[in-house]
Amino acid sequence: MALSAKLRTPGWYRAALYDVLGFAFAFGLVVLVRWLMHQHPVIDGKAITIVALIAVPLAFLIGMGAADYWFYWAIGRPTRAEDHSAHGAHTWRDYFRVNTDHKVIGIQYTVSSFFFLFVGGLLAMLIRAQLAKPGMQFLTTEQYNGVFSVHASLLIFLFVIPVFAGLANFVLPLMIGAPDMAFPRLNALSFWLLPLAGLMMLASFLAPGGSFAAGWTAYAPLSTTMPLGQLFFTIAIQLAGASSIATALNFLVTIITMRAPGMSFFRMPLLVWANFSTSLLVVIATPFIAASQFLVLLDTSLHFHFFDAYVGAGKNGNVIMYQHVFWFYSHPAVYIMMLPGFGIISEILAVKARKPIFGYRMMAFSLLAIVVLGFTVWAHHMFVSGMAPWIRIPMMITTAIIAVPTGIKIFSWLATLWRGVLHMDTPMLFALGFLTMFTLGGISGVMLAMVPFDIHVSQTYFIVAHIHYVLFGGSLMTIFAGVYYWFPKMTGRMFDDRLGKWHFWTTFIFANLTFGPMHYLGMQGMPRRVAEYAVQFAGWNLFISLCSFALGASTLIFLYNVVASWRGGPRAAANPWRAMTLEWQVSSPPPIFNFDAVPTVVGGPYEYGIPGAVHGIFKPPVEAQKATAGATAFSTPPSQESH
Amino acid sequence: MRKHPLLQMGVLGAAVTAVLLAIVLSIHWFPTDASTQAHNVRTLYDVLLIVSVPIFVIVLTVVSYSAWHFRMKPGEEDTDGPPIHGNTRLEVVWTALPAILLVGLCAYSYSVLRSNEKTHPGAMVVNVTARQFAFEFSYRNAAGREVVSPDLYLPRGRPVVLHLRSLDVVHSFFVPQFSEKLDAVPGIVTTLRITPTRAGHYPVECTELCGAGHSLMRTGAFVVSPAAFHTWLSSQKPNGPPPVGNPPKAAAQPGVPGSTTPVANPKPPKE
Amino acid sequence: MEAASIAHEHHGPPPAHRSSRVAAPTLGMMLFIISEVMIFGAFFTAYFFIRVVNHNPWPAPGTSLPEATTGINTAILISSSLTLHWALTSIKRGNRFGLKAGMTATFLLGLSFLTIQIIEYIHIGFAPRYAAQSSVFYALTGLHGCHVIIGLMLLLMVTIRAFRGHYSPESHQGMEVPGIYWHFVDVMWIIVYTTVYVI
Ligand code: HEA
Ligand code: HEA
Ligand code: CUA
Ligand SMILES: [Cu+2]
Repeated sequence: MALSAKLRTPGWYRAALYDVLGFAFAFGLVVLVRWLMHQHPVIDGKAITIVALIAVPLAFLIGMGAADYWFYWAIGRPTRAEDHSAHGAHTWRDYFRVNTDHKVIGIQYTVSSFFFLFVGGLLAMLIRAQLAKPGMQFLTTEQYNGVFSVHASLLIFLFVIPVFAGLANFVLPLMIGAPDMAFPRLNALSFWLLPLAGLMMLASFLAPGGSFAAGWTAYAPLSTTMPLGQLFFTIAIQLAGASSIATALNFLVTIITMRAPGMSFFRMPLLVWANFSTSLLVVIATPFIAASQFLVLLDTSLHFHFFDAYVGAGKNGNVIMYQHVFWFYSHPAVYIMMLPGFGIISEILAVKARKPIFGYRMMAFSLLAIVVLGFTVWAHHMFVSGMAPWIRIPMMITTAIIAVPTGIKIFSWLATLWRGVLHMDTPMLFALGFLTMFTLGGISGVMLAMVPFDIHVSQTYFIVAHIHYVLFGGSLMTIFAGVYYWFPKMTGRMFDDRLGKWHFWTTFIFANLTFGPMHYLGMQGMPRRVAEYAVQFAGWNLFISLCSFALGASTLIFLYNVVASWRGGPRAAANPWRAMTLEWQVSSPPPIFNFDAVPTVVGGPYEYGIPGAVHGIFKPPVEAQKATAGATAFSTPPSQESH
Repeated sequence: MRKHPLLQMGVLGAAVTAVLLAIVLSIHWFPTDASTQAHNVRTLYDVLLIVSVPIFVIVLTVVSYSAWHFRMKPGEEDTDGPPIHGNTRLEVVWTALPAILLVGLCAYSYSVLRSNEKTHPGAMVVNVTARQFAFEFSYRNAAGREVVSPDLYLPRGRPVVLHLRSLDVVHSFFVPQFSEKLDAVPGIVTTLRITPTRAGHYPVECTELCGAGHSLMRTGAFVVSPAAFHTWLSSQKPNGPPPVGNPPKAAAQPGVPGSTTPVANPKPPKE
Repeated sequence: MEAASIAHEHHGPPPAHRSSRVAAPTLGMMLFIISEVMIFGAFFTAYFFIRVVNHNPWPAPGTSLPEATTGINTAILISSSLTLHWALTSIKRGNRFGLKAGMTATFLLGLSFLTIQIIEYIHIGFAPRYAAQSSVFYALTGLHGCHVIIGLMLLLMVTIRAFRGHYSPESHQGMEVPGIYWHFVDVMWIIVYTTVYVI
């Protein structure tokens, strides 16, 4: 194809061209405005960067062709009849273009998120190297602040949140018997926003003055008085946020309007329930972090005064307001980073223990309870922030109460294990590892809820320990479990179970050795976010650093296992785990349009141990009734339809 | 001959709980306590440990016991477990018990908080001003003139009220041995109450990320005998004009913004 | 706005089972509006903290807000909702003229609202940096202004398509869904107007 043609058709060439145009536009716009407003100098690097940070990504998306269809549609031109050239993946190249197949998008999501896990993890290795010895090491304090800020931001906004969206993207439509997501093009768009956000965060290291360095919480007014790099965070968050809102809308609409016949809400697999709850959290909460960064952007670039509270003319802003707005998103965010994991664990435990989930309905309701309670606890991050003291009491109580629905889930999982037939393979090991580590992290969380204790440990390494017990021992363990569990379905290959077990044990042991001692350091009074610490903490920090390197190395086993198995692993059967949920009833990997005919759901998703029980069958409803006349006795009645 | 699994597990769990509790309670988690507040927090923490260790052990033992006792044996490849869908009684129990426990813990923490933040009529007032990247402690000497010091001096046994201000970004005042911590927030005055009980030299740390110098924003807190304190105070040469009176009413309750005594407004130093 | 794309899916994959009476695009728009409400909620939090918690006088001393002109402007925006409704009912009755006239009127009314708002900015006499209150004023009205712009784009699409002969009594979802958004923009303005200008 001639270059000129390549530059006109959607794809990388056109994206590159449009990016140049996008930058030119940003440059021109800023110069024009400043010239019109008689500001000097007309060429202002900061202003140009801000506009470019917004214009270039959008230009890229349009260039890739993420929006072509809508443009045609908007101006009423006949839209290209869907020839599904944008559907499915036939060569590896198809993963590098705008693709509307939820399975392709799911893999795009998962792989790119794992790329950011490794980058973020390497930054963690830098953190630990710097902290191995007291006194300053090879990083300056600014660089150190930058490193842990990017570490956290990447791992939260570009690993945990999107990887869950990715896994769900792949399996959720299959699980509810839908041919695809409700809005395939929106789905593609929300994926392509992510790499842009991630690269923007990494690019901040190149900005004059270094990368953003106000922590992942970016408290104002520190963030509003930071060098240029901070803006890369401010704007990357907008892209990542837009992406997750779009995905959440997509999930909600898909779950509500596209379930297979007979798939009542109380016949949905718990992973679907989990993503339903998570999406509710995203839709309601995420706008708040977007807004918080808008306010920061206005303060920084246009000299608004939301957060200037130094005494003086016009400086009557409110600093604590930032923290309220930020945490009203970021507390729910921690459940956005945990509920999908709960879903994954429910799937795995039922299948690997060969038993129905214990107390299915309570499992579903407890998810909703967490969603509701999650919005009532944000200020537990602000016990020492100097906000009105009385707020601490209600927040302490609601925060503690959240342990109850979470406890219901933990205990129900334990009861599911009890008297089961446990297949102790890699996914199961990670699930069990999750149960123990997350309980520990959750309990330390409940301790943090107790105000007088939190006052002592807030902003110390005790918090860092809690963070990693819930995010590593919680989220990451469930992610590993899920990736191993669905690896056969996604790639059509089996992974090496022996290597998988090695990966689990090294990860489990070294994660505890790395993050366990942090509790002690914190209570002894070692503050977090410091590049240098008192000599009394030297011993434990060295120990932690060494263990963390081993922990890093352990993820290399995973990397090798996945790459090798994907390329040369033995072919996977359609249903290697003898699971009941629908995604396992189709070939591995699934056919391009998931099903030839939409299946009919006739029973619960976890009816293990019941002879002849089925969840769904590939017949239209009428015959389905006949086919399972005998078996339907046990199936949970199709109650609570979503009409 | 085989004992019932639940029984076996109960025994196992009890043993593990006993051992773990013995261990965690014997660890010196905290630095030496040097204030009444710190003392209360330590008791609170012991209570928290006594509540949480059994809960953790329940999870730990059920997981490891099932992993060992219910693992798939050769020949069971195609067998499934019993189709148990739930047990309402059990579910009520494990909803109610934690709820009761937690409400209890909240009530206790609340009482600790109350006593830790009790106001004392004769308390000594110290004005703390934080800026990138240093603390500044200002007292009133016998003559009522202002005395400013880079480190914190406190008389043992006398309740003190710290009024925290910030000149640029959010900082946080923390002394581990006091178990007390509070942010210094631009535009408002926040209030922290401490009653030092043990003489000694303790670190004052800034625990809110405040920029490049955050790691190094530390100074000392000296708790000394009342006599020693007064000799120190009178030995310091006062600066500035005679007093403008005590900090404004607003200072009494944190969270009431705006109404600060005007403080100079240096732009945050750019590094 | 995905209506068309849904329509296309049945070329390859099997038709999805409709498990809810609500149409996907309508539901999607509703959920999106929830997010939008929350964005405004966050900006109103800023308003609350700076006006109420900080006990700052409103509007900032030495500034004043043109309640009257903006009141008229509000009336203009509300009337645009009515014309939009007229357009919708017309096409439902198959009256193409009503559709075109209604859409054009709606678009022009919205446009004039935006223009008047911009003129107000020019003559209001204080900048965002004047005080925190003025920051909040510009942030809230500006945020709403952005939504008006998005809404106008959607209206423009619908109008173009209306003139190109799209929509019929049977299928008019393509204009119904953007319509929901425009009504939301109007309602939101009533809240902004009362909180920022009136009280
Ligand atoms: C996946 C992410 C995740 C999850 C799930 C949680 C879960 C919880 N978190 Fe955590 N939290 C974070 C991520 C997470 N957190 C992060 C990242 C921060 C730091 C942010 C920053 O400042 O950078 C933080 C900080 C943080 C703080 C602020 C500390 C401070 O800065 O001063 C607090 C305070 O209350 C808290 C509490 C809790 C509680 C009560 C839970 C509960 O949901 C836990 C509930 C679970 C259990 C309790 C275990 C299982 C339950 C049972 C076995 C039943 C019986 C149990 C009891 C009766 C106790 N968290
Ligand atoms: C999902 C979230 C997540 C994950 C997975 C991790 C993973 C890790 N984190 Fe992080 N962390 C956070 C979320 C997370 N963290 C958050 C939110 C903060 C708060 C930030 C703030 O204060 O603003 C934080 C802060 C934080 C701190 C405190 C910084 C400070 O306050 O000064 C530390 C210090 O030890 C740390 C360490 C680690 C380590 C050792 C890992 C390890 O688990 C990483 C192991 C994984 C890898 C290493 C993968 C890459 C491996 C390779 C590429 C192989 C090659 C490498 C070697 C062999 C060395 N993290
Ligand atoms: Cu001051 Cu950190
Ligand atoms: Cu929280």
